[in-house]
Amino acid sequence: MKHYLNIYVKFLAQHLKRMLQYRADFLIGAGSFLVIQASGILFIALVFAQIPDLNGWSLDEMIFLYGYFQLPRGLDHLLTDNIWLIPSRVRRGDIDRYLLRPINPLFQVIVERFQIEAFGELAIGIILVAYAIPRLAIVWTPITILLALVFILLGSLIYTSIKLITASIGFWVINSMPIMTTIYNIADFSKYPTTIFPKLVQALVTYFIPFAFVSFLPATALMNKADSTGILVGSIVAVSLLSLLAYRLWLKGLASYQSVGN
Amino acid sequence: MIEVRHLSKSFVKYEKEKGLWGMIKGFVNAKKVITKAVDDLSFSIAKGEVIGYIGANGAGKSTTIKMLTGILTPSSGEVTVDGVIPYKDRITNARNIGVVFGQRTQLWWDLPLIESFTILKDIYQVSDADYTERMTLFNEILHINEFLKSPVRTLSLGQRMRADIAASLLHNPKILYLDEPTIGLDVNAKKNMREAIKKMNASFQTTVILTTHDLDDIEELCQRILIIDAGKLIYDGALSDIKTKYGSDCKVSFVLKEPWKDFVDLAKMMDVDPLSITVTLNDDKLEIGFDKRNLSVATVTATIMKHFEVSDLSIQETDIEAIVARIYREGHA
Repeated sequence: MKHYLNIYVKFLAQHLKRMLQYRADFLIGAGSFLVIQASGILFIALVFAQIPDLNGWSLDEMIFLYGYFQLPRGLDHLLTDNIWLIPSRVRRGDIDRYLLRPINPLFQVIVERFQIEAFGELAIGIILVAYAIPRLAIVWTPITILLALVFILLGSLIYTSIKLITASIGFWVINSMPIMTTIYNIADFSKYPTTIFPKLVQALVTYFIPFAFVSFLPATALMNKADSTGILVGSIVAVSLLSLLAYRLWLKGLASYQSVGN
Repeated sequence: MIEVRHLSKSFVKYEKEKGLWGMIKGFVNAKKVITKAVDDLSFSIAKGEVIGYIGANGAGKSTTIKMLTGILTPSSGEVTVDGVIPYKDRITNARNIGVVFGQRTQLWWDLPLIESFTILKDIYQVSDADYTERMTLFNEILHINEFLKSPVRTLSLGQRMRADIAASLLHNPKILYLDEPTIGLDVNAKKNMREAIKKMNASFQTTVILTTHDLDDIEELCQRILIIDAGKLIYDGALSDIKTKYGSDCKVSFVLKEPWKDFVDLAKMMDVDPLSITVTLNDDKLEIGFDKRNLSVATVTATIMKHFEVSDLSIQETDIEAIVARIYREGHA
């Protein structure tokens, strides 16, 4: 464990060194991200300029939800973004090098890249949440803060697991990118109150691809709109099942990995 | 050190017909094609041996190496490397082995070379003392200090291969797999590379498994060779044995001053069976092929020079390349 932590820190340091060498790349990445985020917020503001209340959700609550949504997503994006590259690594036979080193291969994939642009997501999330909190009747106790942190962590694990499941499909399917992006985009439903969608979509994002546990359900729990214990338990169950499934699938993928000819 | 028993690996491919219609048909009902890349392979390798593993392209060399290193899971059969089943316990196996794939680097492309070494030092938990000692040795043998600070992507192929070999040896592995370590190198760089491999084997008793198309590598480095063809092992033995078995063929070529007109019974003159020699005449070029076990180069040369005026001559002994080509062709040894 200490060994892995040490390697993690070393890789992070290497990554930062490389980042400093390619400053322009970083600025472009961060800039385009800000534009995407600004348009998202503008969209919500426009909707609420017309409708003051959406299915029982006020503008401030929507802002809280939108801001909260960015946090688990940003955390996952920051730490495990390299999982996206698994299918292309498989195709080019680059999984070989992970299998030749005495460290867990998935760990190696993950530490290879830190997506610093994700700080943009996290910053926007924090700003929006901080803006919304004083306007909402939420009583913040140490317990609620701890609960919020646990929810964020669990939420980002849901992202990571789903990403790993779809990436592992790349061991059997040449181009798994469409599957990955489609499923990842379903997460966008979680930016808005799930209850505004048809029942089918609600069931899909709660039980099948449990993105509702990423932000909608935790946010309602934090805003005292629902029972937080139930949501916490549900969230833990969803994360456990999903991450177990994801890791098993990844291992199965490695076992059937065919490498490439020379 | 390495035990391989009845090892096989099959790959499944889906064959599709040509053209759009074929693709559509294939989409619905693709033909499943199973290819056996490695077929019932058995051998064992002792500590400190340097083994040449050779075969034509697609014979199954890389597939074997990938099973030994734990990258691929065998379809059937057993492999143990220093008592470890590679694909089952990759992490232990990875500590025991060093791997160099000539066509792809294991180094970090964008970083100065020295950074790759410090990362590997952490990954393999090499102590400071061992690290300093080995880096000094690598520089003596592989001369890596001159480009240690350059980013890997700026290194020449020869430099990069030297760096890759050093990197694979940093944790002092018991076994070193070299998959075409001299591919693309110039004559000098090849020589240096072979020297380095020899020295490493001598100083650390490292077991070396070498795949190559360059038969000079084999002659310089290996006491024993394994030849694989179509996934099957067709030869396992000393290099010298194969040379005595196939290497006694010899050919002497003469350039004659005047064309050969009259019939001369060469076999009779040399006192051998006419079927044991081959004679080809092309204008003024005469070639005599024979087996050195029945006839000496001296006899052949003397006989020809006694009867003809010769302006030039050359002697060609069978090299290992020709032997291997012959074995590939015949499919057995």
